[in-house]
Amino acid sequence: MLRQIKPRNARSKRALDKKAPKPIENPKTTLFLRYTTCSQVVQDALTDLHQLRIPLAKKFTKKNAVHPFEDPASLEFFSEKNDASLLVFGSSNKKRPHAMTLVRTFGYKILDMLELNLDPDSFRRLNQFKNKKCAVGLKPMLLFAGTPFEGPVTNEYTMIKSFFTDFFKGEPADKVDVEGLQYIVSISAREEVEGEEAKPSVHLRVYLIKTKRSGQKLPRVEVEEMGPRMDFRVGRVKEADESILKEAMKKARTSQERPKKNISTDIMGDKIGRIHLGKQDLKELQTRKMKGLKRSRDVAGSEDDEMEDAISDDEPAKKSRQG
Amino acid sequence: MVDSMATEVETKEPLPITVNKPTPYTFDLGLLLAADPNPLLLNGRENLEEDLASTARDGAQALLNQLLSTCPISSTPNGVLLSLPAIETRLPREKPLPPPKAQTTWEKFAAKKGIKAKTADQRKKLVYDEATGEWVPKWGYKGKNKAGEDDWIVEVDEKKERERKEGTERQGDGRRERKEKVRRNERLQRANERKGRKNGQ
Repeated sequence: MLRQIKPRNARSKRALDKKAPKPIENPKTTLFLRYTTCSQVVQDALTDLHQLRIPLAKKFTKKNAVHPFEDPASLEFFSEKNDASLLVFGSSNKKRPHAMTLVRTFGYKILDMLELNLDPDSFRRLNQFKNKKCAVGLKPMLLFAGTPFEGPVTNEYTMIKSFFTDFFKGEPADKVDVEGLQYIVSISAREEVEGEEAKPSVHLRVYLIKTKRSGQKLPRVEVEEMGPRMDFRVGRVKEADESILKEAMKKARTSQERPKKNISTDIMGDKIGRIHLGKQDLKELQTRKMKGLKRSRDVAGSEDDEMEDAISDDEPAKKSRQG
Repeated sequence: MVDSMATEVETKEPLPITVNKPTPYTFDLGLLLAADPNPLLLNGRENLEEDLASTARDGAQALLNQLLSTCPISSTPNGVLLSLPAIETRLPREKPLPPPKAQTTWEKFAAKKGIKAKTADQRKKLVYDEATGEWVPKWGYKGKNKAGEDDWIVEVDEKKERERKEGTERQGDGRRERKEKVRRNERLQRANERKGRKNGQ
């Protein structure tokens, strides 16, 4: 934990204000760093991911003896120091060769972690593809293909989807230039097969988009691989804590008026409201009055008799204002 | 829209621009994201790259079709811009929501007393005088607050006359009341200032 700083001048105040929590947040910065041992493959992968993520990225070159799944404290420190909430940590050792750990933080504390083991044989660097690269800082289009990403429950694949969506989101934009739609990041996985030990690997491919005149209004799209090319297998996973995730998913209240619930308009233009009434208590229902049914009959005393006459006539009125 | 355009052009063989998949794509156009829920079609390891490329091509085509057909397009000197809808996918924040701002002393006081900010109408200096049909100032020269002060004939309020102190007369009652109101307000203002100074230190 960094010490609390009180700004002494306007410049440091601006810097602190920039870091402070905001209702609508800054785009997330990604920090790339490596373990003391890190294979060339993983280093190249980090470089290429950094290249795709510029300018919202920082890359460390020095070695860091960090074990994210055992003690993430120093990752949290780096996150706070650099105001980076996405971290990509490369490492390689005998037990887990060519591993990349994707880390997300919330309030400078680890939110979730995901370890991906890179396939060294199929890996291709960005500059191994000899073609034109897209401009720096362009917003990519994203494609998630395959059934594993669609699951309703959180698993490795939905985490991959969430993480890479966050990773490639970039600057929020309400308008994009059509010329800027130059490349697509395609992340795909085949469905899981019953009885197979290994989980299906995830393929990350980046394609340039070429549009051709189709003779119609919409163009015909062709793709050409731009690189990098990565295949992952999912390793260790640390899912987000439920309460922290709930906190992290909160949205700021906007000035936009929220739609009123239970009020709708039908095709005739009539306003329809839905009313919820409490459950009716049938014990309190007034049935036919008979002397024999009086409750005070079984009680020995007769002093309650007068009370009984005033049996609740405020029985829940069932009114329907529909239509 | 696409189909109608397709029928027009039949001279050259048009390149197909539609993507047909058993399960339709889902989109989050705010993120430029498409999700293809269909199982991946892979035919062995040798053809992996072609299969992935064709899946990506289909996805890119579907996404671009969706973008170009549903998002409003505007041509500006800077280029052709697509207006994207809001992001639907829920992603975690990076920092907690900032705590709500603390109320100022005045805001607390106003909430307690039920004081609301003046409306634009209340802030106007002129008011409509229905009797004359003219706009007159609320105060000041020929102000509305002086109405009835120089009436040349006035109905006698018997109750007031009975309670009238010795040595005063009806003449200039309105003016006296108005001046007293001003003095009272100034008194309260001074008292508030004194109270504020005491509380503040």
